[in-house]
Amino acid sequence: MDWTALGLSLRLAAWTVAILLPVSILVGRLLAYRRFRGKGLVEALVMLPLVLPPTVFGFYLLVSFGRDSPVGQLWQGLFGSQLVFSFEGLVLASIVFNLPFAIQPAQRGFEAIPVEVREAAACCGMSPLRSLWKVELPLAWPGVMTAMVLTFAHTLGEFGIVLMVGGSIPGETKTIAIAIYDRVQAFDDRSAATMSAVLVAISLATIATTLWLSSRIGRRLG
Amino acid sequence: MASTRRLLLAAALWAVSGLWAPVAARADVPVVAAASDLQFAIEEIAAAFAAETGQQVRLSLGSTGNFARQIREGAPFEIFMAADEAFIADLHAEGFTRDAGDLYAIGRLVIIAPHGGALAPDAELEALAALLAEGQIRRFAIANPEHAPYGMRAREALMARGLWEALQPALVLGENVSQAAQFALSGNAEGGIVAWSLALAPQVAARGHHALIPETWHTPLRQRMALLQGAGPVAEAFYAYLQAPAAREILARYGFTIPAE
Amino acid sequence: MALEVSARATAPIPLKIAFRVAPGELMALVGHSGSGKTTILRTIAGLWRPPEARVQVNGTVWLDTAAGRDLPAHRRPVGVVFQNYALFPHMSAAQNVMAAMDRPDWHEAARILDLLNLQGLADRRPAQLSGGQQQRVAVARALARRPRALLLDEPFSAVDSTTRERLYGEIIALRAHLKMPVVLVTHDMNEAQLLADRMVVLEKGQLVRDGPTAEVMADPEALRAMGLREVAVMLEAKIAVHLPDGLTRLEAPGGALYLPRVEGSPGTLVRVRIMAHEVILSRARPEGLSAQNILAGHVARIVPGKGPAVTVHVALGAQEIIARITRRAAEQMSLREGEPVHAILKSMAVARHHIARASPADPEV
Repeated sequence: MDWTALGLSLRLAAWTVAILLPVSILVGRLLAYRRFRGKGLVEALVMLPLVLPPTVFGFYLLVSFGRDSPVGQLWQGLFGSQLVFSFEGLVLASIVFNLPFAIQPAQRGFEAIPVEVREAAACCGMSPLRSLWKVELPLAWPGVMTAMVLTFAHTLGEFGIVLMVGGSIPGETKTIAIAIYDRVQAFDDRSAATMSAVLVAISLATIATTLWLSSRIGRRLG
Repeated sequence: MASTRRLLLAAALWAVSGLWAPVAARADVPVVAAASDLQFAIEEIAAAFAAETGQQVRLSLGSTGNFARQIREGAPFEIFMAADEAFIADLHAEGFTRDAGDLYAIGRLVIIAPHGGALAPDAELEALAALLAEGQIRRFAIANPEHAPYGMRAREALMARGLWEALQPALVLGENVSQAAQFALSGNAEGGIVAWSLALAPQVAARGHHALIPETWHTPLRQRMALLQGAGPVAEAFYAYLQAPAAREILARYGFTIPAE
Repeated sequence: MALEVSARATAPIPLKIAFRVAPGELMALVGHSGSGKTTILRTIAGLWRPPEARVQVNGTVWLDTAAGRDLPAHRRPVGVVFQNYALFPHMSAAQNVMAAMDRPDWHEAARILDLLNLQGLADRRPAQLSGGQQQRVAVARALARRPRALLLDEPFSAVDSTTRERLYGEIIALRAHLKMPVVLVTHDMNEAQLLADRMVVLEKGQLVRDGPTAEVMADPEALRAMGLREVAVMLEAKIAVHLPDGLTRLEAPGGALYLPRVEGSPGTLVRVRIMAHEVILSRARPEGLSAQNILAGHVARIVPGKGPAVTVHVALGAQEIIARITRRAAEQMSLREGEPVHAILKSMAVARHHIARASPADPEV
């Protein structure tokens, strides 16, 4: 059991969720409420990581913030180390490829709020911020939570992109998914089996939580 | 309803607290990029190093070609142990290594097959040729010749033996020689050509038997290592240790010939 | 404290209106669907902005497109009751009411809920309340805001007729406590006549008529947009006695009125909506007729219409009743102003929901 790898995976997932939570709420809300020109394009872009093969994604990420890219060089200048092959690079990649998981369920959650209820909130004197806190989030939270749970689980399981962008550096970028791959190649089936079982357990817990949350969406709205 | 909210808040706080979990101290524990044929040997050497000096290294195993690419992209390795000296020479020319490095071992190829399988490994690859002729070889694994030295040598050997063309439809390419061995012994293939150092490991020997392939059938596997730019004192210590008698003894046990150079 | 509104637009529907509602006045905005009444309400509330509009309440300008001033909805002290209640489903009735307060005050919320006869339901969620109860919570929430204007968007359309009748009563009783201008959007003329002091009739976004309810409801021209069969008057009568055969006898100007059982104890003042097309006229007092209601009065005025009908205004003491009859009949009867005439009405012609309590604040019809 590679505890470092598991810890790394959990940290990666936790950071991704922490950063994507406000994005999920704000972008999900924007897409749910507003109609604007180019909205279809924005939604398609958000969905892109779902359909693109991870390797295509990994390739573009490498091009975008590899050593020779503007982003990579800026990072090198600021922090003296590479963005690729680092934990921070993984977080950046993770944020990008989790966008559909973070945004879409939240968007559905906000869409489920009847327009009249939001208008009633405004007519009750609630500023948009107060309305978000007192009315919209309480009604949309199952959607937002689903988004966060899915993001967390998806990050734990991500393999191809992590390998391409992060390599397999123990303690930095060797996540548990990669550790399993590594152990299989080392003919260490026992470790691979243990770690796989842990991931399966986490996945099942995720599914159960998501299902429970989905049932709450309906009930919340009466 | 309020209690559910509290529960979720607690879970969120717990998850967030993980953000500050201590990371393995990067500076003092250098990462060694080692070619996959060193899978078992290098783990033993690293353990011996830790036992003797109290210092740790982190190991990353994979194909030589892949590591060379990553090093060019700025991967934070401090030592690179390649399975083919050409890769070290190229990196040195581009300024990624401190110096031209050192030859640390000569590797050998073996043909390997699962115990009780149709293929019985022999040095001349007679059994392989025979089974091929009968159409009995469905899958045969080697490392990817594009970027794995052991794969390149496997291709040379098969060409020398005149079996390369016939084997094409059945070839399965491992990303590195470890994965090739994994494929070869998985039960889904008749066998493969992999590193001797892997075949000698107990975990592997338990799953399959092997036979050495003549050295003359391929260019030598001159395995070279080098310290990379920015390598620290622990890396230097480990690098020295790799050339010390203790390490060499371990390498010899895994079938490596220590060069006289 | 008056509400003044003017608006002009070309899309999504053409709009051209301007009107004023005095404090304490309930004005009904009537028209068919698509006539623009909900759009105007939303403009007042701040949920929509026409290209050209001005909304001023109590001297404060909420919206003035020409001056570039547009207060967002949450900054306008307005109370809105939505068609489908729009209660916050995750909050109890009391919490819903408190949501509209600057400083949540549970006692104040309870007081307002009591005012609307919702005692004991403060902790219930909307899903646990009936339609009528939900609507009243919505009204309570709108009032909790201490609004400068109260807007009701077809608030009774989603309730069944029995509940609707009861809610009419509640609103009428509530009027005494409402000091702000109230705008009621409805397509139900009966509702408008029962509840409103003034009416604005809209047709395809244009303001067709603006005036006191009694005048508008008596004017076929004004009501052309709503349907000429809506012409009616509200006759004030007092409940005299409930009869054992299921009828109630009321005292009306010009005679006795017999109607199917009217709720209320003897002595209660009610207003009865009498549809002009249901009224028959007769010079002499008829005998042997099945109709029970024969009221004596005299012809106040005869208004010819565009088609074959005329509208005859019959004075009954201080009140008036309207009959729509054919011009041929009027000529045959040689009706002249000032002459005595009887207005005849079937007991069964008056529907239950056409009767409402007379509010003490009601001006004389």
